[in-house]
Amino acid sequence: MSTIQIFDPALCCSTGVCGVDVDQQLVDVFADIDWAKQNGAQIERFNLAQQPLVFAENPVVKAFLERSGAEALPLILLDGEVALAGRYPNRSELARWAAIDTVAENPASGCCSGGKCC
Amino acid sequence: MKFLDRPPRFLFFTGKGGVGKTSVACATAIHLAETGRKVLLVSTDPASNVGQVFGVNIGNTITAIANVPGLSALEIDPQAAAQAYRDRIVGPVRGLLPESVVKSMEEQLSGACTTEIAAFDEFTALLTDSALTAGYDHIVFDTAPTGHTMRLLQLPGAWSGFLDAGKGDASCLGPLAGLEKQREQYKAAVDALADSRRTRLILVARAQQAPLREVARTHAELAAIGLSQQHLLINGILPQSEAENDPLAAAIHERELAALQNMPDVLQRLPCDRLMLKPFNMVGPTALRQLFEDTPTTTEIAVDSPLEPDEPKLSDLVDEIAQDQHGLILLMGKGGVGKTTLAAAIAVELARRGLPVHLTTSDPAAHLSETLNGTLDNLAVSRIDPQQETERYRQYVLETKGAKLDEQGRALLEEDLRSPCTEEIAVFQAFSAIIREADSQFVVMDTAPTGHTLLLLDATGAYHREVGRQMDAKDLHYTTPLMRLQDQHRTKVLIVTLAETTPVLEAANLQADLKRAGMAVWAWIINASVAASKAKSPLLRQRAANELPEIEAVATQHTQRHAVVPLLQQEPIGVERLLTLVGH
Repeated sequence: MSTIQIFDPALCCSTGVCGVDVDQQLVDVFADIDWAKQNGAQIERFNLAQQPLVFAENPVVKAFLERSGAEALPLILLDGEVALAGRYPNRSELARWAAIDTVAENPASGCCSGGKCC
Repeated sequence: MKFLDRPPRFLFFTGKGGVGKTSVACATAIHLAETGRKVLLVSTDPASNVGQVFGVNIGNTITAIANVPGLSALEIDPQAAAQAYRDRIVGPVRGLLPESVVKSMEEQLSGACTTEIAAFDEFTALLTDSALTAGYDHIVFDTAPTGHTMRLLQLPGAWSGFLDAGKGDASCLGPLAGLEKQREQYKAAVDALADSRRTRLILVARAQQAPLREVARTHAELAAIGLSQQHLLINGILPQSEAENDPLAAAIHERELAALQNMPDVLQRLPCDRLMLKPFNMVGPTALRQLFEDTPTTTEIAVDSPLEPDEPKLSDLVDEIAQDQHGLILLMGKGGVGKTTLAAAIAVELARRGLPVHLTTSDPAAHLSETLNGTLDNLAVSRIDPQQETERYRQYVLETKGAKLDEQGRALLEEDLRSPCTEEIAVFQAFSAIIREADSQFVVMDTAPTGHTLLLLDATGAYHREVGRQMDAKDLHYTTPLMRLQDQHRTKVLIVTLAETTPVLEAANLQADLKRAGMAVWAWIINASVAASKAKSPLLRQRAANELPEIEAVATQHTQRHAVVPLLQQEPIGVERLLTLVGH
């Protein structure tokens, strides 16, 4: 089973409800991650404002921060290697990494489920 | 004193600001220490003045009070607690991660939410058996004014409930890293608060109608969250002997008697103590030791200087305010100095002049409608109710940001919105909306007691920085609520104080805090001045004489513009009496 690690920028909390304005991306990704976990994915999330040591102790993440800075977060590692940077994964990307069979799924997540976005 | 009879380990003093909580808490701590106990006196007020009372710098570490053996004190300062918390998190990675990354962490950890949580964290540590308090027989809390105390005390219950529900990963407890470890501590704090063998709550009030009603509400709210063992302490009662040859003193005495007789039923049932008004200020151990003594003021006090200074009236300030046709008038100051009353008086006077006014409050404990006790053309009244605002904000986020989520996702978001931080944001949003309104009419705002308001301004500052980052990057023009507050054409800040040593010092500290936030104070109002009334009773005349150097200091050292409002014979309730305050 692959492990997905998400390194968030400095957030008050991972849904962002503590922020001065709630960030739609964070709300969506929070739901998607929960969905993937329900389907057996192994996902860990680290918040720069809360667990900075994890960032400092991971050579890949540390090098990424030195090269591109905190503005380039989030960074997503799949089994320790960079899978995505600068934006959060969507549901289908999470499904691919975690090998979740989406054909049987009927994602209820809004109007984009048919593949054509409105 | 019944409240000092076989005291349990934890003693909490609560009540509206200005009723003398700090004095009573300090006097209690001295009393217990002098009976041979080891005592720790704790202030959880973000604008604490325990240090001033003892003439010692205390701050965020336990400090021994040299001239009272056995007594130590601690001021939980939310800002300092937050700084310590930031250092704990950021310290280990300094030098390991790039400087810009460390800076982004520090910015994230500088909001109001971190501040509140860091202070709360320290507070629970004192309540639970830690090595920190092992050496003390008693811990005396001089708690922050009512609204803020409520939030502080309710948090353990709310959080334990939040954690027990256990849905999602409770991520929005946010700045509390290592949550599971804290869980035990919160549970223990709740248990300690509810245990009458360990905790006694002393409700402090003055013999006045509104404060007593307020105390009755606090009593019910705290009883509901499990603080069942409560005492009532009526402070600063004018001795009957003073009432003989002075209409003002007689009116005050009668007003106090009536207030005590008509005290709400729930309060009548509590064990009650009464303390007499003293002719001196409660500064220093010598004065504090006399607080619990009922020695009548027999010494005839010779006062030579004239006692009715010719000072500007509130109407002089309103004249200037009215010229602008619109604007935000913010009344700030410690609890209990009369912000609500003066806000209502200013609003009523503006409305009387035919100017549209919105009178509002950000103080959860304020009751504008009781003060106003009537309606007036051109005057709209509202309040920022934290519970209502939080509910509205939750609904808004669920309907907009949560619109496309499936059922499970929505449930998670809903759970996260139950975080204690949400209230902070919701109140800020409501505050911002009201600030904008002042572009087209007058908005007179009675703010919550100082500490709470400073936290709110902190949130305003955090928002300003956040918007600034986003907008500067796109090179756009913008106006944040903070910029409106800093603009003297839009916003006038009025500091309200009493003409007593400690309140004036506190007001000066507030002015300095506001200056750091980039906000200038427009004027000071000295409220309930005995010197500006025509008092004849020896005790009141002595208090009036004590006021003169304070009024002088305000006028010459602290502000360019001030007004003095006299202590009235009648409680300033209702439109007519409010207009009398203004000077008509």
